[in-house]
Amino acid sequence: MECDDGVGEHFLWEEVIDPHPITASSQTSLSRALAKLTAQPVKDCIVVMRSNRVVGIVTQQNLLTAISQRHNWTKLRLAKVISQPATTILQADLSTPAAVLEIFEQQPISKLPVLDEQNNLVGVISHQRLLQATSHPEPVVSIQRQHQRAQLFAEITLKIRQSLQLKDILQTTVEEVQNLLNADRVLIYQVLPDGTGKATSEAVKDAYPAVLGMAFPEEVFPKDYQQLYAKGRILEIKDVHAPDAGIAECLLEFIEQWDIQSKLIVPIVYPLTPEQSQTEPSDGHELWGLLIAHQCESPRQWTDFELELMQQLAAQISIALSQGQMLEYLEERVKLRTAELTETNRALQQEIQERKQIEMALRQSEEQMRLITNNLPVLIAYVDAQQRYGFNNQAYNYWLGQDPVTLHGKSIQSVTIPEYYEKIQPHIEAALQGEQVTYESEIIFKDERSHSVSVSYIPHVELGSRGKAKINGFFALTTDISDRKAIERMKDEFIAVVSHELRTPLTSLHGSLKLIATGRLGHLSDEGQQMLAVADESTDRLVRLVNNVLDLQRIESGDVTMDHGVCNAADLVEQAAEAMQTMAKQHRIEIQTQLQSLSIWADPDYIVQTLTNLIGNAIKFSAPNKKITLSLQPLKTAPTDQSPEQSSPAALFCVQDHGQGIPTDKLGSIFERFHQVDSSDSRKKGGTGLGLTICRKIIEQHGGTIWAESQLGKGSKFYFTIPLSAN
Amino acid sequence: MNSKLILIIDDEEPIQKVVRLSLKLEANWQIICASSGLEGIDLAEHHHPDAILLDVMMPEIDGINTFERLNKNVDTQHIPVILLTAKTGTAEKRLFQKIGVTGVITKPFDPLTLASQIAKLLQWTL
Repeated sequence: MECDDGVGEHFLWEEVIDPHPITASSQTSLSRALAKLTAQPVKDCIVVMRSNRVVGIVTQQNLLTAISQRHNWTKLRLAKVISQPATTILQADLSTPAAVLEIFEQQPISKLPVLDEQNNLVGVISHQRLLQATSHPEPVVSIQRQHQRAQLFAEITLKIRQSLQLKDILQTTVEEVQNLLNADRVLIYQVLPDGTGKATSEAVKDAYPAVLGMAFPEEVFPKDYQQLYAKGRILEIKDVHAPDAGIAECLLEFIEQWDIQSKLIVPIVYPLTPEQSQTEPSDGHELWGLLIAHQCESPRQWTDFELELMQQLAAQISIALSQGQMLEYLEERVKLRTAELTETNRALQQEIQERKQIEMALRQSEEQMRLITNNLPVLIAYVDAQQRYGFNNQAYNYWLGQDPVTLHGKSIQSVTIPEYYEKIQPHIEAALQGEQVTYESEIIFKDERSHSVSVSYIPHVELGSRGKAKINGFFALTTDISDRKAIERMKDEFIAVVSHELRTPLTSLHGSLKLIATGRLGHLSDEGQQMLAVADESTDRLVRLVNNVLDLQRIESGDVTMDHGVCNAADLVEQAAEAMQTMAKQHRIEIQTQLQSLSIWADPDYIVQTLTNLIGNAIKFSAPNKKITLSLQPLKTAPTDQSPEQSSPAALFCVQDHGQGIPTDKLGSIFERFHQVDSSDSRKKGGTGLGLTICRKIIEQHGGTIWAESQLGKGSKFYFTIPLSAN
Repeated sequence: MNSKLILIIDDEEPIQKVVRLSLKLEANWQIICASSGLEGIDLAEHHHPDAILLDVMMPEIDGINTFERLNKNVDTQHIPVILLTAKTGTAEKRLFQKIGVTGVITKPFDPLTLASQIAKLLQWTL
């Protein structure tokens, strides 16, 4: 395509249109875009597309600015950094260069995409190239040279890009620049964080001193100069000794050390790291260093091409720095992520190990539980809320011939004979209401014999989300108590036999001694009489001991059934007092009563037994001519071991003596068996050590309480309470 | 008071001897003894004693069974029976009262007051 609008005889649109521009989606990441751009060094922009339509242009400068200024640039997409609006031109509308230049002047753009009739992108016009083509129409030879230079630049950039190592990149750069420009020395001066500097890469002709590795103090390159370069300053000095070179005298001396006649300096802008962008008050550009070319042999006029080449290579170094930084950042992220993954993996491995251990422990525990439950001589079952068996141990098989596997899931009713289920149904229902149940029963084992069993139902209670208890079922434990029952029967029989077998010879012994003691069967000597008295007293005591032991055994074993009824407490006291009158007279003790009529709910025989026991003690431990007082009064609230709500009105019985009294520290234990205050004294008084224990058992079985109060030397008061009858 | 005839039914000979001596000394009553329930029933049928002192725990037929047999027998059912027993439990005492014995004297008894205890139960005067 050719035109002639007076600016040039042979203007070709192809020379200013890049027919293969770099394109990318608006959602392409900046890192990806940067990679695309650096892969084609001669390109300096990306046409951003969305749904195959041009939406804008992103220049190389836009990318560098975004990378250096936006700390989150790794997450950014091209859509966020488009700097130029999507101004386009149809290929058919390309009339004259002047018309297109007018578009560039009217719009804030530097690139103009060209579209065909179907709006497909066919190329991009560069404002700069259009200006060059129109204002300085060059002959074809010049264009060809420019093209060769562009090719050369592309080759150098390609060489630079062949390494990801910054050191190699920098070295390649200085070598290629030196070679291309035929400069005497090309070096890269890196500005260090403390303001000093160092020549990090250098290509120098042999004839001149090398500066590689040399450190320069801050004075050589002060901070204010650094800021100027950071803003893009380029220094081009044809002759350092020329008066207009503007080099201070002191610096001139420094420069002469290196034989410098002419120099060209372009800045290498250092993009800030994401972290630096957040913390440092900068416009995002920091001077990383300088690309410097020296001519040592003679002064030199640097051309625009050389200047442009240096600038573009400095930009390439900046990109390399960005990429290095990005690489470093990504490597750091990969390192961190790898560390995280390693840690996560380690934690997972540990968790897996722990779970394995827990599972193994659970399996062992289950195995142990199974072993234990299957070998315990107890029927163990779990019954759910629908009365179905959830678990049965092997004892069901051993005892009842019922296979646990077969029982699983079956209801109790379906595997139990109806008569027996009727008996246990109330207990099952109570357990499913959350009540712990224990009862005794008889069941037929597979040996067809009836066995006594004790059955306990323990509810399985689960707390719901709102703290409400839910009964999921119950555990049933059935113990064979046939042996215990047999032993109990044997014990009862033994006691009955002992009762008879002990008492019978005692009766003969006791009777014979009493008859001899009368003297009517012949007289004994005084010593004989004394021995007879000893035998008589010992026999009496043995009789009482046997009686008390048997009484206590009966009460404790529950063999005794209290026959409760309504009775007048005052009558019972009178009855006991009368029964003890003979003994009282023998000891010259007077029994007084202070009574009132009170109806109590009690077994009269046992209350009289308690009273006679207490009165007997009072008589034994009172000196002659003392009084014993029996009193009776109502109590609105009886002292009880149970909660106050359960206490009820009671009759308070009191047996008071004026005897020797009981030490305070003994008061708590006198109701324990064989806990006498003074055993020698007790023996003297003929006590058995069981009387008060029997009294306490009787009163407890009546729902009452018994206790004592005493003062040494003044006497004792024995109290007990019996609930008043409802009537 | 006329001399009474008392039948003692007890398988323990020492008890028989003590009771016999006690009642003879204290009340001068006539005593006949049986060592088993069946022998006692037989003696009761033939001698018609004024009272029977009956032990409870005896081999073959025990005191309760003996009492029931005596009670069913027209020749002996009128004879008052006093149990002489080592069984002192409340439940046992209630059982004895229930079957209708005249009285219960607990072993070991006081031989010096045995006669007066019997007389009191039978409302006799010594």
